[in-house]
Amino acid sequence: MKRKVLSLILAAGMVVSLAGCGSSETQTQAPAAPETQQAPAQAAPETQTADNQNAAADTAGGDAVTLKWAIWDKESTPYWQALVDAYKSVAPDVTIEMVDLGSTDYMTVLATELSGEGSDFDVVTIKDVPGYATLVQKNAILSLDDYISADGIDLSKYAGTTDQVTVNGSLYELPFRNDFWVLFYNKDLFDDKGVAYPTNDMTFDEYDALAREMTDTSFGAQIYGTHYHTWRSAVQLFAVLDGKHTILDGDYAFMKPYYEMVLNQEKDGVCRKYTDLKAEGLHYSAAFSGGDVAMLNMGSWYVATMIASLESGEYDADLCGNWGIVKYPHAEGVEPGSTLGTITGLSVTTASDTPDAAWEFVKWVSGEEGAAVMAETGNFPAIMTEEAMSLITGLEGFPTDDASKEALNVSNLYLEVPYAENVSEINSALDSYHGSIMSGEMSIDEGIAAMNEAVKGITN
Amino acid sequence: MTKGLSRQKKRDLVAYSFIAPNFIGFAVFTLIPIVFAFALAFLNWDGSNPITFAGLENFKQLAGDVFFKAALKNTIIYCIGTVPLTMIASLALAIILNQKVVGRGIFRTLSFFPYVASLVAVTSVWKMLFHPSKGPINNILYTYFHVPMEQLPQWFTGGLVLLSMILFSVWKYMGYYMVIYLAGLQGISAELYEAASLDGANTWQKFRFITWPQLRSTTFFVVVMLTINCFKVYDIAIMLAGGGSGELTTSSTVLVYYIYQKAFIDWKLGYSSAVAMVLFLMVFVVTMIQFRGQKKYQ
Repeated sequence: MKRKVLSLILAAGMVVSLAGCGSSETQTQAPAAPETQQAPAQAAPETQTADNQNAAADTAGGDAVTLKWAIWDKESTPYWQALVDAYKSVAPDVTIEMVDLGSTDYMTVLATELSGEGSDFDVVTIKDVPGYATLVQKNAILSLDDYISADGIDLSKYAGTTDQVTVNGSLYELPFRNDFWVLFYNKDLFDDKGVAYPTNDMTFDEYDALAREMTDTSFGAQIYGTHYHTWRSAVQLFAVLDGKHTILDGDYAFMKPYYEMVLNQEKDGVCRKYTDLKAEGLHYSAAFSGGDVAMLNMGSWYVATMIASLESGEYDADLCGNWGIVKYPHAEGVEPGSTLGTITGLSVTTASDTPDAAWEFVKWVSGEEGAAVMAETGNFPAIMTEEAMSLITGLEGFPTDDASKEALNVSNLYLEVPYAENVSEINSALDSYHGSIMSGEMSIDEGIAAMNEAVKGITN
Repeated sequence: MTKGLSRQKKRDLVAYSFIAPNFIGFAVFTLIPIVFAFALAFLNWDGSNPITFAGLENFKQLAGDVFFKAALKNTIIYCIGTVPLTMIASLALAIILNQKVVGRGIFRTLSFFPYVASLVAVTSVWKMLFHPSKGPINNILYTYFHVPMEQLPQWFTGGLVLLSMILFSVWKYMGYYMVIYLAGLQGISAELYEAASLDGANTWQKFRFITWPQLRSTTFFVVVMLTINCFKVYDIAIMLAGGGSGELTTSSTVLVYYIYQKAFIDWKLGYSSAVAMVLFLMVFVVTMIQFRGQKKYQ
């Protein structure tokens, strides 16, 4: 009997200890709950003062607010901390708490965080448009329309990018970073071969001819005229630069000439093979910094990487130290400087208890002061002011030739992925068939027919 | 406190309290989600907005979905290829390494090693070995078998990618099933073999009439586990065939990948659950058939 009592006590002890585990969890959450409940109360006077004085920055003596901000790769991306530090001097009462969700699955993790109740993010960074579309449809982020009209934000400063992410007339993010695609080239390789550098005004035919001219297939001294990363954007989206087509069209026959150009280049050894790149997982930066690639089409984010990696000695300056950039090649009859863009934006969450304070932060980062901070770290802000432009071109390590500076003047910017209701699914389908075409699983015609078919199934 | 309870009830209570810690965790994190997934297959939900009723709409959509059909086909081919091959390979290995050969301990360890090694690491090695232009396999084909450069096999795309996945899976998992077979083999009484030898049975007859029937329950376990694991394939496909941004083409996509994509990239939780139901049904039916077969022979 004694033993039974003992075992009962033991068992009861286990159950209690298990319950203990649970309750300790609730205990750790418990302090958070009153805090979030208090938060609106704290925010209320602040919003009033913000309305009165029309800027949170001036709320001297206002109650302290903490904003939780979702970002990625805090350690390797210098501008997050720079923005927080700079904002601290403008709004000393606002504490920005950064939460690093990692870059690999950032939008997936963020969407999971913002699903259902219980999220405590106030400001979230929007990495791509499919992820943005998901958050809008989930009602996870606020429409910024009222704030934008109340504060008189001039959206024309964003070079038309905000129009491409407007959802039923409403805007849910404000971009603070705007990368656009340019053509990087290795000047030493052109000098060695005695070929003139690429220019800011090249048609695709001229670009193709130049890539072929630079190519050397002789064993041991191999030079690739150009290089395409495995992303769909690097090949397929040449086709949307004519301003007449987008990836939402539903009929993708217009992509054929560009697939033909690239696959013919592959066949003739002008660029590395897609299947090789996929098998070895070669990163574009490793390809270009290896010194055997004459040209590389890539986003302007690579400018900061080039400068930093050459300075740190990670890239061998003898192989790729003498580099330049020019504008993207353009189709016949299209204005030079038409290129692809990718915006990084900020949104205020619907779950935020302090949306007004969050908006002030978003407005500041996406505004001209935030732009200057971005430019100082070598990144391209969404508002390309003269000041930001000269900050970037004046960076130590930025190519000194005039053509490289001129290359930063964009005439038409088309987002890699504009907003559409089913953009996430369309994106996946196009990605998949891009892989099929590039790896030779499907002919170009078969792949395009499959894309048409798949997207028809999604949009219907 | 316990006065009012009968002896049996007290016993039950003790038993339940021992089961409870595990069962509560299982219920919260496994059982309820599974039941919810069943219900979700007939609903539309994106994880945030209100749930709406879909009826059989999700299942009707499956019929016209090319990616689903490709994933289903690839998963079935992968299973048909992997299950028998792994079973045969692991049984053969077990029989060989059950004999008194010199250094069998080393060979047993070596065959078990792929199972222990990290999948990500070994897929990287496979990708180097089978690299389309620089890999040693294709270089041997080119140099010694004079396969023209353009016709060298592309191991990770098109029609060959499933074969690569099957071969990889057999190589990686045969060591594990070999250990299970070894245990089975050691459970067979040596007297049976002695008696057979006296009756003049040859090696094949010993295998056919002693080893194979005696291993029936082991084989049943191996086949069931293999089938379930094969239908769940995901990591091998992503690691061997994942493209520039990790996406799989129609020649390499598998059901579990598609479930993940629909649920957490496109946030169609209902549709994704419908795909999961198809996967569940397939595993269920195949396992039921195997159970029936097992019972019939016993």
